This record gives sequence, structure tokens and C-alpha cells, in this order.
Amino acid sequence: MLLLGAAVVAVIGGFPVVAGTDSYILLLLGKFLCYAIFALSIDLIWGFTGILSLGQAVYFGIGAYFVALSLKINYALDHPTRYGNKFPDFMEWNGLKALPHFMEPLVSTPFAVACALIVPTALAFIFGVITFKRHIYGVYCAVITLAESLILQEFIIEYQAYTGGFNGITDYSNYLGIPFLWFMLAVTIAFFLIARVLTHSRIGTVLKSIRDNDLRAQFMGYNVANYRIFVFCVSAFMSAAAGAMYAAWVGIISYLDTGPVFSVEGVIWTAVGGRATLIGPFLGAFLVKGLEFLLSGVLAAFWQLLVGLLFIFVVLVMPDGIVGSIAHWLRRHRKGTLTQLREEQDLLAHDREHDWQPAGVPRSGEESV
Amino acid sequence: MTMRRRKFLKSSAATLGAWTLGGTAPYYFMRNIAKAAEGDTIKVGILHSLSGTIAIIETSLHNAELLAIEEINAKGGVLGKKIQPIVEDPQSVVQVFAEKAKKLLLEDKVAAVLGCYTSASRQSVLPIFEQYNGVLLYPTLYEAQECSKNCFYTGAVPNQQLDDFVPWIINTLKRKKFYMVGSNYIYPKETNREVKALLEKHGGQNVGEEYAPLGHTEFSTIINNISGSGAEVVFSDLVGDSIVAFYKQFKQFGFTADDLPICTPITTEQEIAAMGPENAEGHYTSFNYFQSVDSPENKSFVERYKAKYGKDAVTNAVMEAAYFQTYFLAHAIEKVKSTEADALIYEGLPGQEFQAPQGKVKIDEQNHHTWLWARIGKANPQGQFDVVWKSENWIRPQPWVPYLYPDKTCNFTDQRVKERLSKPWSVEKNRSGTINL
Amino acid sequence: MTQALISQILIGVSVTAILVISAIGLAVIFGVAGVINMAHGQFIMVGAYTAAVIGKMGGNTFVAIPVSFVVVALLGLAVERGVIRWIYDRPLETLLATWGVGIILEVVMKLIFGPELYYVGAPKVLAGSVHLVGRLPYPYYRLFLIVVAILMVAATFYLIFRTDFGLKVRAVRRNRAMSGCLGIDTAKIDMMIFMFGSGLAGIAGAVLAPIKSVSTTMGFRYAVDSYMTIVLGGVGNLWGVPTGGGLIGEGETLLAYKFNSVIGELLVFIFIVIAIRVFPRGIFGYQERR
Repeated sequence: MLLLGAAVVAVIGGFPVVAGTDSYILLLLGKFLCYAIFALSIDLIWGFTGILSLGQAVYFGIGAYFVALSLKINYALDHPTRYGNKFPDFMEWNGLKALPHFMEPLVSTPFAVACALIVPTALAFIFGVITFKRHIYGVYCAVITLAESLILQEFIIEYQAYTGGFNGITDYSNYLGIPFLWFMLAVTIAFFLIARVLTHSRIGTVLKSIRDNDLRAQFMGYNVANYRIFVFCVSAFMSAAAGAMYAAWVGIISYLDTGPVFSVEGVIWTAVGGRATLIGPFLGAFLVKGLEFLLSGVLAAFWQLLVGLLFIFVVLVMPDGIVGSIAHWLRRHRKGTLTQLREEQDLLAHDREHDWQPAGVPRSGEESV
Repeated sequence: MTMRRRKFLKSSAATLGAWTLGGTAPYYFMRNIAKAAEGDTIKVGILHSLSGTIAIIETSLHNAELLAIEEINAKGGVLGKKIQPIVEDPQSVVQVFAEKAKKLLLEDKVAAVLGCYTSASRQSVLPIFEQYNGVLLYPTLYEAQECSKNCFYTGAVPNQQLDDFVPWIINTLKRKKFYMVGSNYIYPKETNREVKALLEKHGGQNVGEEYAPLGHTEFSTIINNISGSGAEVVFSDLVGDSIVAFYKQFKQFGFTADDLPICTPITTEQEIAAMGPENAEGHYTSFNYFQSVDSPENKSFVERYKAKYGKDAVTNAVMEAAYFQTYFLAHAIEKVKSTEADALIYEGLPGQEFQAPQGKVKIDEQNHHTWLWARIGKANPQGQFDVVWKSENWIRPQPWVPYLYPDKTCNFTDQRVKERLSKPWSVEKNRSGTINL
Repeated sequence: MTQALISQILIGVSVTAILVISAIGLAVIFGVAGVINMAHGQFIMVGAYTAAVIGKMGGNTFVAIPVSFVVVALLGLAVERGVIRWIYDRPLETLLATWGVGIILEVVMKLIFGPELYYVGAPKVLAGSVHLVGRLPYPYYRLFLIVVAILMVAATFYLIFRTDFGLKVRAVRRNRAMSGCLGIDTAKIDMMIFMFGSGLAGIAGAVLAPIKSVSTTMGFRYAVDSYMTIVLGGVGNLWGVPTGGGLIGEGETLLAYKFNSVIGELLVFIFIVIAIRVFPRGIFGYQERR
């Protein structure tokens, strides 16, 4: 198993050496790594803690925009734009005469990277405090995060002199190349290990208990809100890092990277792969995005149909995702005897009853808090 | 402890294994299929969104290009080979445009790409075409202030749409006070900047300027503002859904084309069909081509288009450009007997002429834009345009608007430019820009 | 100046009506069945296309209203029976499943009708405008929309508070388990209410099509506006819909007048996010009885 893992890392890491750097598969590979981290960050809050955020792309997007802006400003300094000026072209056509003063610090890329990581995390902390301390969760949390995502999009489009607006930011020197792929691979592995440690520690157990029944967790003396805020910040940090690397790698970002559609895509990768597993988000991101790349050209409109069916299929038939289903199947076969099997199923059924309780929507009398 | 660690390592390894194999294996499979399909064809990429918000218009460009390719193949193809269209769907997302462009150039090794509609999508793929030296033919009217060695623009630039339109409104319609309404992105903003410069030059007046978010469909506030501004004419560069909602609500609030006409460089027959001719009647559009243009080439073009895509299908200017640019490409390949990018860029495409539905058109030898005809149309009750004015001659494109940027030109035939361009891109990179000599 | 402002306030009323029309179906479903229907926008879209087909066959909006109601209610029935009834106890996942339904509807409609914009005209009777107060004449069609909005709210109120069916709905809403024990078929109530809410979305599509544009991708914007309206107004109390709609509608039009459309929208969104944090369950939030 260890060998296999090493082999896989070697395949990704060694791919560009064999195939050359001009391959567009290299581009995809790096992109998918970013998507996988993004899905992992969603898995942390959704799969392990039960918070469904439809605005996770906000953190991804802010991270991406800081890095892209910095790279674009630097690129314009070295390569005069088509207007012949030394600041980004989208500022020129919006009537700015020079780089605005508050953007000058972004000339320093390390500073921009620091911003790309710290600002989203801080924002997640603020949002987390005012959301979870006020006991907003469940469907409400989903809709509020959706609204936040839309606000950021509107903001980017409206203030196009500073953000590039609808066109996004493109045409800057990106880091497409072998060393950066290796760097991204290292970051991916690091995040995977962090998530692994986090979810298998005591904190992870508390998080799962919050997901399954937050009321009981509270009675046990845990500060539910604080745990939620903590994991929300960790997740935002990971998203932001993924966004920052994405901007540096792909060389083009737009307001769509901050929108609810992208967030929902991330959720569905996680769901397909298997939530509350660490392998799931990676598998899901690579599988869905990979298939999309292969099939969207061939199937055209039908690809979207397939995606829609996938949503319904995963929710109805395979709520545990690919990895979860395989794990169940394996467990069943290992256990063997019928009684054990039945016990297991009873337990599962019991879990199902208490899992994913409608939170936030009063459905029955017993829920009154 | 050791047990836990081993278990941990095992599962980590399994994770990485699973997702990499799942992710990369299919590509090699696909690449082999693609190679196997290679034969005696000339591959041409078609890059228009077939899904997402912009598919509303881009699907028709895709259709027009396929129609042209079909016709060319029916006449025996190019250099004795059939043209094989490689269709990709960029889903109205700029990142996917960039990704698919890269795929078309590097994996499919297409001779050229016909594609893009919005300025955003064009700007997202240009760096890729420049980096890998591909050829892009772009059919849309756009805001200008750009040229690129690798891109051939077959749509109109402002001097072919606005330079005659604005003075015509002022002098012929005798309306001086303009209220400008646009969608909130680069094309309307740049266009309005040019209109304002023209207003200053010709003695018009700008009494208001407002932008609505893309896809916005509630225009009552803007209409209220217009009514209080004393405007004599509304200059609209709204796009997509917004056009339909704006015209409908404009009429519902009691404005007629006689009191306050809407003049626009972008509303086509397609949007009029969607809003109903009664809402568009009497308003003006400036374009190079209308479905009602009276020429034998156009009659046959409209007929063939309807035969292929249904009798209710309407043609419009951007589609027409998409159609004739496909012929430009075929004739260029025929001329240089090669599909190499440099051959097409320096010899094949510049100077290429074609008898298009709108009249004779030509790619400019120097700036890679296209000589087109200017027309002003007044919408009639049948949902078509009556041409009320037509330029006496075809108009040379000016990619840099002279009254905003007097010192800028593009000239890719200049010997010094050629020398600089012949250097490797890493040394001499001036992306999506004019060579500043 | 005051004349313009009066016009603007009147316009705000019609914008409110549009918001109420598009949100009420969603509010009914969310309030009673606890399901966020992410395909709500696409349901409106299907309603609009139904109106387009009716228009082609020679009918007008008045014919389209009942037909769209029935068509989209049947669509709602299919979605409820096929997808949602399996996952009532997992509201977060109904969100994903209905998102999938939305995508499918968009693709299917595009395959049937093509990607281009569709034409829906207003009935001739409602074509003109009348001069009330203020600077602008007021279109008859907008007056009609205000009437439709009031009727839709009134009909919903009547159904929930004055009929036998409504009594059962309220009982299920209060205490599902107990209602079941008392012999109410809770699954059937859920199904009926889902159909009713979907039908209302269909009406929204039919009446909004003549002043807006009709395309397969039109749904998303209506859906967003609807979520904002009901989340601001609060679920569980039907007064929340007109209240939320009024705040957003008037707020957006007045701010758009003061600044511009984009900033108006932005400020209203920000206001909503803050308001939800002050009133986590909306202004008219449902207070569970202890």
C-alpha cells in the first residue's frame, strides 16, 4: 500500500518530466490538485462537521484574486500593456491613470500570498463568529453563505477598475511548470495529512458528535460554536491556499471562481467521492472533473444532463459516495457471520435516523429549542 | 502506536493511489483515440459555448460555421482534403475557454480556431494563441484598442459602426441629447467612451450614463431616470437578456420610437424575434449586415441557413461574420498550400477577399481586422430591419480609435515588426498588444 | 424631484409584486415541507416556456396562468414522488438533489426549445399605460402584476387558514409525529403542498414572461431573488413573503435611484446578510411554542 502511494505521487510528480511541460494535461493535473484541496476543505466542514456552506468559493476566490492581482501588477511593470502603460490594462479602460495607492503593497508577491491566506481565514473567523454564535446552521447557513457568495461576485463585477470585473484577470506570467507542480503536490499531501490528524484526533471525534447531534454535544459540555468556528477557519484557510495556487498555476481567474455554482460543484465532488472520508474528495474531484473534460466535448449538452442525474443519484442511491460504499462493502465481507452483519446494519439504520437531522428548520415539536 | 501509524500510512497511500489512477488513466486512452482518427483531413477548431448563459448567441455562430464547413466540403474541401471540425464546448466560462484553446492547439493540433464571442473569452484565450503560435478567427464586433498577430478579427470595430452612426443621429434624426445605457462590462464601457468622444466632436450632448448588471431584467428605475433627463435619444449597449427586457419595459412605460428612439450597435434580429417586433418597431441599429440586405449572396445564405436550421431561424451580423471567416480560412489554406500558423498569419489570411452576404469584405494586410460595410437599419413590424443608410464604400478598420489614441497603430507587415516577431516569444513577449516601435 | 421620487416608489411596489410572485411558491414549500427547492428558478422557467407555447397556439397570459399552474404542479408532483419523498429527513441533501433537478430541467428545455431567447407577448388589453401620480405613466401590466401578487397571497392564506386541507397542513407543520398518530396522511400533505408550491412557481413564470426575457438560463436570478425574499421575511409565517419582498423591492429601487442598479443590488444583499444575523429566522421568524 505504501509502495502504491509512493508510486502515485511519483506518477503525478514524474508526469511532466516524461510528457514535457507543454502538455495541456499538465495544466489539468495542477488544476485538479487545487480542486481536490477545495473539495477536501468542503469535506472538513460538511462531511465531518455537518455545516453545508454554499459560499466556500468565497475563500477560494479571495485567495485567487490576491495572487492574480499581484502577478498581474508585476507583469504590467515588466511588459507595458497594449495601452503602453505600466499598470494593468483593466484599470486603464476603467479610467484609472495609475496604480491606486492602496494596491501598491501587492507589488510584493510574498505580501500578496500572505494576504491571500490570512484575509480569507480572518473573514471566515468573523463570519463564523456571527453565524455560529447566533446558532444559525443547517439550511439557513447554506442560504446565508450563498448570499455572501453572490455579494462578492457583485462586488467584483461592480468594482471592475480594481478587479477586472466580468472579464476577470488574465494575461500574466503564471507558474506553469514542473517545480510548481511538485510544490502543489507537496501542499496537497501536507493538507491531506493535516486533515487526517485533525479528524482522527479528539477534536475530530467532537466534530463528528456535533454533526450527528449538536444538542447532545452541547450537553456534554463542549462549546459547539467554538468547534464549528475553528473548523470553518481551517477549511477557509485550505480553500484560500487552493485558490492562491490555482491563480498562480492557471493564469486566469474570474468572478465565477467565487460564485455559488463553483461551491456546489465542490460539494458534489465530495459527495460523489464520499463525504466524511479523506479519500473521497480527492477521488471525487479527479473523477468528476476528469470525466467532464473527456465527455463535455463529445456529449455537449448531454454532459450537463449527466451531471444533474449524478446529483440525484448520489443523494438517493449512494449517500456515502464511492469510498463510503466500498468501505461498507468491505466491512460487510470481513465481518462474515450473519448476526454481525445484522448488528452492523441495525447500527447503520440507527445512525441514519440521527444523521443529517434537519437543523435550523423546525419540523416537529420535539425540536423546539 | 506502530500499528496505528502503519494503518495510517496504508490508508494514505491508498488514497493517493486511487485518485491518481482514476484521474489520469482515461487521458491516455483518449489521446490514442484522437490519434487514430487522424486521416486525410484538415482539422479546424470550433470554440463556442453550447451551454451556459452565452450559449443563447454562441450556438448560432457555431451553426453558421458548421454550415460553411459543410458547403466547403461539399465542393471538394481544401487542398483535396475535407475540413474536420473539432467542436469544444467552453460552457460560457472563461477559464474553460483557455483550457479548451490549449487542448485544441496542443492535442488536436488544429490548423486554426474559429471561436469566442465575448471580449472576456477572447482575452482569456489570446495569451495562449500567442504563446503557442496558433491562429484565431474572431467574428464579433468589439470595443477595439487591441491587435494581436495571432488573431484575425472579422467583426466590426467602432469606426465601422459608430463613426457614421453618431453624426447620423445628430444630423439626420436631429437629436442631440444622448442617454447611454449599458451592461456593466468592458464592451459597453469602452463603446460609451468612444461615443462620448464622438458627441464632443459632432456637437452632441451626454445627458446621462447608466450601467446595469449583466443579465439584469428590471429596467423601471433606469427608465424613470431617462424620462427625467431630457434625453432625445437612448443609446443602448445592453447585451443578451437585458436587451429584450429593456425594449419591452420601455414600451410598456409609454415610450414610443417617435418620441424617444433607442439607437444601438448591438441589437440583432435574434433579440427582436425574442421581444416581439411590436416592441422594437422604429428603433435603430447600426450594423454591417442585416438579414434584409438585398444581395444575391445574402438571399442564398439565408435560404441555406433556413434549410439547415429550420424556417424560423434568423440570421444576424455576428453569424454572418462567423460564416465568411470560415471561407477566409479555407481560401487562405488553399492559397499558401499549408496549414502552418506562420504561413497563414503572414501570407494566407492578410489580404484575403470574399464576396460575403453583406458585400465584398477583405482582411486588412496590416492590422488583421476586416474591411466591412456600414449600415443603419430601422426595425420594421416584421421583425426585420429596413436599411435607411448605407456607406458608399467598404470601410477600413481602425483597431485603435484615432480620437482616443492618435499615436497608436498596428502594422504587422512592417519589416521591423516582422523581425521582432521572429524572435522567440520568451525573449520578445508583447502579448495581446501593439508593437510599440 | 418629488415627482420622480413618487414614480420611483410606485415602481418599487411593482418590483415588490414581482418578488412576491416569484417567491411565494418557494415559501410555501419551505415553510411547510422544510425543503429548500433549489430548482425553484427552473420551475419558473418551465412556467414561462409553457406561456410561450400557449402564446404560439394563440392563447394569451390569461389562458397561460391556469395551464402553467397545472403543468408545473404536475412537474412538482413528479419531482416529489421521484426524488424528494425519499429524503425529507435530510434537508441539506434535498438542496443538492433539487439542484440536480434544476440542471436537468435546463438541459431538457434547451434540447426541446433550443438555446435562443423566446418570445412571450403581453395581452392586448394590458398593453397601454395610465397616468397616476408621479412623473412616469404606469403600465397596465404592472398594475396587473400587483393584483396577481395580492391574489396569489390571498389564495395561499385562504388555503392554509380557511380550509380543511389547510388545517391539516398546519397540524403537520406543528407536530408531524402527532399529526400522523391522529390519522393525517402526512406524506400526502407534503406531496400536495409541494404540488401547490410548484404550481405557484408556474404562474410566476407565466405572468413574468411578458415583461422579462425568456431563456433556459433565466431561472437562476429568480431563484436567488426568491431565496433572499423568504430568508429575509422568515419562514413559517406567510406574512414574511410580502414583508421581505417589500423591503427588498422598495430598497432596491430607491437605492438604484439614488446610486445605480449595481450598487442598489449590492447594498440590499449586504443588508440582508446583516439582517439575517440580527433575526436569524427572518423578520417574521417562526417561533416554536414550548
